[in-house]
Amino acid sequence: MAFFSYFEFQMKRIGNFIRTFPLELVFWIGALIGILLIDPYGAQHFTLCPLENLGFHWCPGCGLGRAMSLLTKGDFQASWSMHPLAMFAFGAIGFRIFELIRHLKTTNYYG
Amino acid sequence: MANVLRHLPELEGMELGYIQGILKNMDDDQANLFAQVYRARRKDNQMVLILCLLGFFGFAGLHRFILGQIGLGILYILTLGLCFIGTIVDLVNYKSLAYEYNIKVAHETLSMMSNNSNFYPNVNTNPNDKA
Repeated sequence: MAFFSYFEFQMKRIGNFIRTFPLELVFWIGALIGILLIDPYGAQHFTLCPLENLGFHWCPGCGLGRAMSLLTKGDFQASWSMHPLAMFAFGAIGFRIFELIRHLKTTNYYG
Repeated sequence: MANVLRHLPELEGMELGYIQGILKNMDDDQANLFAQVYRARRKDNQMVLILCLLGFFGFAGLHRFILGQIGLGILYILTLGLCFIGTIVDLVNYKSLAYEYNIKVAHETLSMMSNNSNFYPNVNTNPNDKA
């Protein structure tokens, strides 16, 4: 019996961890780190994009990551011609990260 | 001491626990008023899920608009949900998106009720102190 109650306790701990894990925050911060790591000048680039991997070669979001990367390197003109929304994307994602952290700090969990 | 199951039986999971923590400082009349206002204003997480699924048919980011995140909504709709990646993440994450919004609504409702404090003099708007 003791073994099973210990097992139950561990399962509950794992369940709590999954429920309160800030997935979206990790996703956005990971996305920004990924943007910083890519090389926008390479001719052939590795892509995560599911559309590209399915065989579509254009979508409205194409080049946004490279444009944001060029922006961090200070190459504003190339960034604008790659994708004009790069600055806006930085603003929106930064604001969202700020909101998520504020939510994480002010919310306490009952029950 | 009001019971959340009597006033808002449709809640579940973390939201249920959070609202119970708010309601336990109220009597039944206050809890009734709170439940009416809160039910009218909260967003169901299934609606967030369905709007998120519309992202696969070209209308990405509608759930972000509904939840009041206009900036991300525009970004999603103009880039097809960040090339589907953002849509897929939100598909996993839809419950906490709705939860976050609903907690915000609950606190707005509470502060509204305390502004009318001549009707309801002893609503405790600060859920942090567990009296």
